[in-house]
Amino acid sequence: MKRLLILSAVLAFAVGCSKSPKPSHNEEGAGKKLTIALMPKSKGNGYFISCKQGADEAARELGVDLLFDGPTDPDPARQNEIIENWSTLGVDVIAVACENKEGISTALRKARQKGIKVVTYDSDSTTDVRDFFVNQATPQGIGNTLMDEAARLTGEEGEFAIITASLTAANMNEWRKNIEARLAEKYPRMKLVATKPCDDLKDKAQSETTSLLSAYPNLKLVMAICTPAVPGAAEAVKQAGKSGAVKVIGLGLPSENRKYVKEDVTQSVILWKTIDLGYLTIHAANALGSGTLKPGAATYKAGRLGDVEIAGDNILLGKPFIFNKENIDQFDF
Amino acid sequence: MRIRYFREWSVVAVLVLLLGALAIMAPAFFDGQPMLSRLAREAPTLVAACGIALVIICRQIDISIGSQFALCGVCAGLLAAAKLPMAVVCVGSIAAGTSLGAINGALVAGLGLPSIVVTLATMVIWREGLRWYREGQFINLPDQFQWFGLSQSAGQYTLLWIAALLLIILALAMKHLAVGRFFYAVGSDAEAARLAGIRPRLTTFTAFVLLGAFTGLAAMMNVVQSPQVDPKSGTGLELKAIAAAVVGGVAISGGRGNLWGLFAGLLLLITINPALTYLHVEPYWEKAIQGAIILLAVIADGVRSRRQPH
Repeated sequence: MKRLLILSAVLAFAVGCSKSPKPSHNEEGAGKKLTIALMPKSKGNGYFISCKQGADEAARELGVDLLFDGPTDPDPARQNEIIENWSTLGVDVIAVACENKEGISTALRKARQKGIKVVTYDSDSTTDVRDFFVNQATPQGIGNTLMDEAARLTGEEGEFAIITASLTAANMNEWRKNIEARLAEKYPRMKLVATKPCDDLKDKAQSETTSLLSAYPNLKLVMAICTPAVPGAAEAVKQAGKSGAVKVIGLGLPSENRKYVKEDVTQSVILWKTIDLGYLTIHAANALGSGTLKPGAATYKAGRLGDVEIAGDNILLGKPFIFNKENIDQFDF
Repeated sequence: MRIRYFREWSVVAVLVLLLGALAIMAPAFFDGQPMLSRLAREAPTLVAACGIALVIICRQIDISIGSQFALCGVCAGLLAAAKLPMAVVCVGSIAAGTSLGAINGALVAGLGLPSIVVTLATMVIWREGLRWYREGQFINLPDQFQWFGLSQSAGQYTLLWIAALLLIILALAMKHLAVGRFFYAVGSDAEAARLAGIRPRLTTFTAFVLLGAFTGLAAMMNVVQSPQVDPKSGTGLELKAIAAAVVGGVAISGGRGNLWGLFAGLLLLITINPALTYLHVEPYWEKAIQGAIILLAVIADGVRSRRQPH
């Protein structure tokens, strides 16, 4: 009963959000309005709330019904339950950020057997149970953006160090490889003097940076490529009284770095625009549901984002976004 | 007597050698600010390690302190974020640690369960509970909270003083007070201790409770060092604290060891990692070298006890 109430409330909300249907966008023809169900890993998370802002925008633009529901806390079992409800309800497309890659595949497979299209975003499922994955960032995009930003801040000259989570983390090693490739290719006067693991801990990142700053007195920049390391490195630079003299950049969340960005300890925080991720996901879901997007396509025109590249079954959001002093207050995740 | 202190002195000798090498090859290691920041960062580790020494001397172990540390830190962070006074935050953190320690203590001393199993379980429960609750999200603290509202260096010296006082008082108490000797007695031979009128279960319980309280204090000392609380903090703290104790001559088989040795062991351990940075050694070696040093200390212990007839 409670679930039914919530569902109807969500439905009412979604209908309220899409008051001006524009059936002309729906290529399958008049009258049929797609229902797209969007699921975050958890509802309360600021990251996914801002994804939803973009999703709402796309839903209004395309005139589709958008359902938004997910677990209160990241919970794979609850994700499955909601997907089964959606299957019963008979939505057209399900878009989901998967908490557990394997755990969700049965529910998604069942949904597809009922003719429901599936896209994943943010975190993929196994590739056999979805049509497309909306991929927010490629390793090359991340590596290039980090390295280019480091070069811009240091005038393409001087020593820098990397703080990573661990020397064995596959995704981070991939990023490091791309950073080093970009460095070798474009910035001959810059030098990577040290790479230190911080075990994905803010405290350890701070200790490591404290030592790096005095062991390498010519250091111009610290690049932190795991999220807890960005504020950790910033705190070390601040405590050493080197704010501004040694720049700090990294991959992270605006909320965890706002204080340091405003104090000019951290210059740039790099991530993707979560609003655009939500926006693109709904665009892709709509195109898939209405049959305009088929496996094998190389590009896809997604509203205000223009032509979006598709690599295999990955729809790419494109270049990461840089948060800095000027824009960080617009983001609260 | 000479043999009894073998391990402590060998640790001190290695430490002196390492510092000597740094003085010649990388004198920047001794610069004031990074040194003070580094020591302040490790002051909480010393406090937690003092607690773990008590438990090890009782012939028990606690591998849940990293998780306790994180829980207490989050607790302190939430209290601070609610704008409660510093004293309340401090008491809250220590109270949280004491309760967690009491749970371990009750299970080990009360029910007689093996401490390695009990604390393995609580380690996972606290850590995963925290992950479920916080989802790794940081807690942002109020502006005036960092360094107890003092200046940076005053705050850092305060932390060093807290750790130093605790070490000195505890070391003296362990040596000179009867209560201090209880821990050794229970750790060497619980049955003999019982016959001598000591209550082994109560003593063991007390050791776990004290460790919890110290861990709570340590978490508080960590929280004041930055404007945010990382709910993952303290991961690996148990290894560092146990290694410091063992390297410093606290016997893992209980009943033997002192806090000065532990202090030397910790100093050595916290010097190795930055030393490798200053000496520009590849980070891939870091953990292997730490492991090698711990192994060396254990071998020294083995050699020592073989020489000494029981």
